[in-house]
Amino acid sequence: MTSSLGEPNLIAITGFFLFIALSLGITYVAARRTRDAEHFYTAGRSVTGLQNGFALAGDYMSAASFLGIAGLVALSGFDGLIYSIGFLVGWPIVMFLIAEPLRNLGRFTFSDVVAFRLRQAPVRVAAAVGSLAVVAFYLIAQMVGAGNLIRLLFGLPYELAVIIVGAVMLAYVLFGGMLATTWVQIVKAVLLLLGAFLLAALTLARFDFNPLTLFEAAGDHYGLRVLGPGGLVSDPIDAVSLGLALMLGTAGLPHILMRFYTVPDARTARTSVSYAIAIIGVFYLLTFILGFGAMVIVGQDTIRGVDSGGNMAALLLAAALGGPGFLGFISAVAFATILAVVAGLTLAGAAALSHDLWVNVVRNGVASEQEQLRVARVSSALLGVLAIVLGIVFEGQNVAYMVGLAFAIAASANFPALLLSIFWRRFTTRGAQVSMFTGTAVSLLLIYLSPAIQVDVLGNASPIFPLRNPGIISIPLAFLVAVVVSLVWPEPAAASGFSKLERRVHLGADE
Amino acid sequence: MMVFYFGFILLVAFRKSLLTMLVSPGLSLGMLLGALVIVAAWVLVWIYVRWANRHYDQSIADLREQL
Repeated sequence: MTSSLGEPNLIAITGFFLFIALSLGITYVAARRTRDAEHFYTAGRSVTGLQNGFALAGDYMSAASFLGIAGLVALSGFDGLIYSIGFLVGWPIVMFLIAEPLRNLGRFTFSDVVAFRLRQAPVRVAAAVGSLAVVAFYLIAQMVGAGNLIRLLFGLPYELAVIIVGAVMLAYVLFGGMLATTWVQIVKAVLLLLGAFLLAALTLARFDFNPLTLFEAAGDHYGLRVLGPGGLVSDPIDAVSLGLALMLGTAGLPHILMRFYTVPDARTARTSVSYAIAIIGVFYLLTFILGFGAMVIVGQDTIRGVDSGGNMAALLLAAALGGPGFLGFISAVAFATILAVVAGLTLAGAAALSHDLWVNVVRNGVASEQEQLRVARVSSALLGVLAIVLGIVFEGQNVAYMVGLAFAIAASANFPALLLSIFWRRFTTRGAQVSMFTGTAVSLLLIYLSPAIQVDVLGNASPIFPLRNPGIISIPLAFLVAVVVSLVWPEPAAASGFSKLERRVHLGADE
Repeated sequence: MMVFYFGFILLVAFRKSLLTMLVSPGLSLGMLLGALVIVAAWVLVWIYVRWANRHYDQSIADLREQL
């Protein structure tokens, strides 16, 4: 069954081009409606709750989820599930604490919220730096996934594959803005769910449609250890660190937060999160079945033989169950997933560069619509090129793990400042600034000192910092410096703006 | 929610053998609890949306009339 990998698969190529044609069609329609910055970033705030729910789910169910988690479960069983569950539990936090205030307080980016009652320029610079760090790590994971996928399926060289993905994604973002990105996201979410359902159904058909029979077979083959915690999180502190990062990271991801501005009001934001949680939960439950299915039906040795990170497990399962045709369909879905997520990330990065840095810091908030739109497009193009370069440089990294790092940076850099700015009266500009810089710098530094870079990349014998995920140090530290700095240097103007903020949180902008 | 998830993560970190225990053939306690964490997230969010749609939105509407 591995023979069909590495050679051009006609159905995969056809499916891939069909999706590109469809999404470029969407982009063309959207481009004619994208006239100003408001449309470019927020799709004119015209997205419905159900649509945004699918788009949020689409942004979230990235290549790391579909390929990475299925692979982790297939290779290490239960440990992979820690990622699936961690990715989901961030959503209730977003729902209870962030979604509605965010919608009521901001315009384009989450730094609108942090800067609401604080001094604009310093806060926005810090927020943009944090956002760009998160976007960069997330982009690397997606590009690496895309490059590997294309190389394995189409037989194209890795570099060319990364360039193709980058170019198509740029076309969506440059011309269609948020409206096109949203619709591409919705189409892809539906396709991905459908693909995962089909794959799970075909898997279960071999086990009397009883997941327990499947898990039992996995236990018989590979020992009961695959059903319980094992080596992936061998260090207890590392397990807690990863859990913390996954849970709080969702509420700090700029491309997810940005989606709350595409809906007309707070109530729709709320509805869209509940749809998103339902869709994402179903999807992650399906990854249990896909991962164990690949483990039993394809076999761990075969999966490892194709890609040591296990990233191709879901595709191998598709090939084993449905032949080359089904493999083609699932691969096309996986491409669609990556393209759509990369487009969403690029848009979020462009918003940080142009809306936060250029318009609000360089131009002091005064820029014409044409200028805002032009800067946004230039920023998108720059980020697209950056994504291609990073994708080529980081070839061979494990995608789910890279996304785990992006979550850790998001949870340390963005989440503390965002939360405190909404709920703590005495929070100050200096507190926000120091917290965001500390969160970004410390998490990046600890990642650099961690086993992943020191041992795996640089080849040193032992890491300087023992944990693979920096969350347990960097997140509490970001909160701590925010509180200490705010208390030591109070800012009366920021405190007096808090009542106005509270009013906006509940009543919205149109009172 | 944080209590559920952190309870789960702490078990993963410090009580591995307990989670490997089988509840029924093919189903370990760890996998059952993992699936239940996802279900708990659904239930909590459903309760919140119900409350917000019925009571919170109404209070906001009342507040707006008073202003």
